[in-house]
Amino acid sequence: MSTMSLEPVPGRSDEMIVNMGPQHPATHGVLRVVLGLEGERITRAVPHIGYLHRNHEKIEEARSYPQVIAYTDRMDYVSGTQNELPFVLAVEDMLGIEVPDRAKKIRTMFFELYRLASHLVWMGTAMLDLGAISPFLYTFWDREIILGIVEKTAGARMLPNYYTFGGVRRDVHPDFFKDVADFLDHMERRMVDYEHLVLESPVVHARTIGVGVLSKERAIARGVSGPVLRASGVAYDVRKAFPYDAYPDVEFEIPTSPDGDTYARFWVRFQEMYQSIRILRQLVELTPKTGPYKGKAPARIKPPAGERYRAVENSRGELGVLVVSDGTDKPYRVKHRGAAFSNLQIVPDLFVGAKFSDAIAILASLDPVFGEIDR
Amino acid sequence: MSQIPIPEDRHFRPRLLGYDPQKSRPWLERTVYSAYVFVFWLIVIGTYAGVPALFGALGWDSGWGFVLMRALQVVLLFLLSAVIALLLILLLRKYLGKVQERYGPMHYGPAGGIQTVFDALKLLAKEDFVPAAADVLTFRLAPAITFVASFAMFAVVPFASGWVLADTNVGLIYLIAVSTLSAYGVLLGGVSSGNKWALIGALRAGAQMVSYEIPLALVFLTVAVWSGTLSLGGIVDAQLGLWNFLPLALPFVLYVIASLAELKHIPFDFPEAESELIAGYNVEYSGMSFAFFFLAEFVELFLLPALIVVFFFGGWHGPLFGLEPGSLAAGALESLYFTAKTAVWVWIFLWIRATLPRYRDDQLMEFAWKAMIPLALFGLVLAAYLRLIWR
Repeated sequence: MSTMSLEPVPGRSDEMIVNMGPQHPATHGVLRVVLGLEGERITRAVPHIGYLHRNHEKIEEARSYPQVIAYTDRMDYVSGTQNELPFVLAVEDMLGIEVPDRAKKIRTMFFELYRLASHLVWMGTAMLDLGAISPFLYTFWDREIILGIVEKTAGARMLPNYYTFGGVRRDVHPDFFKDVADFLDHMERRMVDYEHLVLESPVVHARTIGVGVLSKERAIARGVSGPVLRASGVAYDVRKAFPYDAYPDVEFEIPTSPDGDTYARFWVRFQEMYQSIRILRQLVELTPKTGPYKGKAPARIKPPAGERYRAVENSRGELGVLVVSDGTDKPYRVKHRGAAFSNLQIVPDLFVGAKFSDAIAILASLDPVFGEIDR
Repeated sequence: MSQIPIPEDRHFRPRLLGYDPQKSRPWLERTVYSAYVFVFWLIVIGTYAGVPALFGALGWDSGWGFVLMRALQVVLLFLLSAVIALLLILLLRKYLGKVQERYGPMHYGPAGGIQTVFDALKLLAKEDFVPAAADVLTFRLAPAITFVASFAMFAVVPFASGWVLADTNVGLIYLIAVSTLSAYGVLLGGVSSGNKWALIGALRAGAQMVSYEIPLALVFLTVAVWSGTLSLGGIVDAQLGLWNFLPLALPFVLYVIASLAELKHIPFDFPEAESELIAGYNVEYSGMSFAFFFLAEFVELFLLPALIVVFFFGGWHGPLFGLEPGSLAAGALESLYFTAKTAVWVWIFLWIRATLPRYRDDQLMEFAWKAMIPLALFGLVLAAYLRLIWR
């Protein structure tokens, strides 16, 4: 059996079969795509995943509920606490735990901070894929500030394990609100630079406009979500459709674009960053500086037998979890619905017929994170 | 759950605390660059004034003595290209560092000034690996072709009035011939590596070559028509009153764009696009074979800006402060003017490299065939017409 998974077509000597990844600088980790290339044009594309598989869901079945939270962090490792929330929400629903208002707002602030951090990583790596090296360094400096703020409160930077059933694990650092406000001032200035470097760059226009067009129907059929779906003109956002935590209390919009091309996906992520800044500005004002950070939760988490699905809108789309409980202190089954995993399903559709360089830009606009895809 | 105190000083807050430009010690950096430029200058003076003077004094300036003199000058120029590569690699890394709010090399030598020497030593010490699938002869030959083609351009580049190895009356044609050869090295290196990424890189290099070579040749022709000579020294002399970039503004812009393509520089670095083709045509090269590709790239990064200066910015021209033209002091000063003008253009090229993303290769071809060639032809006709009515 061929290791390439694409057999040469008999009589077609002009097609070259190329193995892109899993060690390729533009595959964002360990994606492997076997490509049929006719010159620069892609004729066939077969993606392979699984190079980062850690048996995630099975491990979670063997851990108690509080221990599972620490595991969820390891999925989408660039957006930290966002992974914890669906699991925490589902278990809270099953146990009927009340979450104090202040704890909800703190959770939402961390959620949006990590959305900014994740979109900054996306911007840097996407521009790196397009050949610009400097934005990568700029965005990582800014992400560094966010991680510093998170570290002050949660004690960890990328995998903070901060949310817990009924609220958050510890109260925020006394500097937290001031740090966030300072950071937002800084970020608003930086966004101007980023617009010049990314959205207004004629080279970026040349590389992305009209490239990898994903139609509304195809996007819905393939089950994509998040910025990729909204860039195809579907205004679906879990934060609005099924609000959770403090999102009903804040004002924000869902940016959508009708174009569905790579530039639209870039644009939508940019507008989401502005919306995140807007949400954080409101929450800095709204959140009480002192008060309870955690509701009353039982000492031993033992949800009654049953199942619960909860979803949140993370940086990449709808991140859901189905928790099945058999009444013991360990979940019977935990099934994650990964946003990056679902978004990756459109790779063969968008790659075939595109130029090889376009494929790199398309992949960058999907923003896959392999911790979550391979789990 | 109890609160675990976290010590304050663990928190690294860049930019709010700030990247500290003082920490990069700019005065020390400038001293290091000046030292490199001084060595560069000494070698230029030695090559073009010292060696001929020495051989003249010995009476060896004809026959085999002349051949020996030229050979010595070529050896000195090879040394010069090594100094250029060391300086430009250091400058590139330091300048990218500045643009990206970081320091660049800091540890080896003053302000990281000897880092590039260690890099070169590392490449020397590495195994020169030939893949099993490679065509050994072509694989070995390709870096040599690329380097020799770039290095051979030195022969006609005038550093000061009369400071040139071969002031031939076919200088421009020689340049076209030699600069095309360097693309052959890239093409052969990629094809002979036995690697699909290298093959794609080589194909892109070929496609890129046919795109930019024609506008480049048309610009050369425009400059020749305007100056009335094919000799590079003659072109510089013809700019005594007015530098060419004003009357030949359109060919000048086209030349800068085509130079970026010839350099395989961002935004046109398709043959080696590291995020697409991993390293492109040189993906299988290591050790000194790779170093020669690298050396060729940096020699070109000096020579193409130098040619911009020769064609459009009056070459070595500058105020001589009463020095007698043709004397050693005047030549030394002129070569310094030439180097300074070239340095400005090198800096602009580095600036472009630090700022822009990459176009797609078919976009360069489209741009070259649909815009640059018609514009270059228009510039040629315009220059010919202007010359007829003006001069």
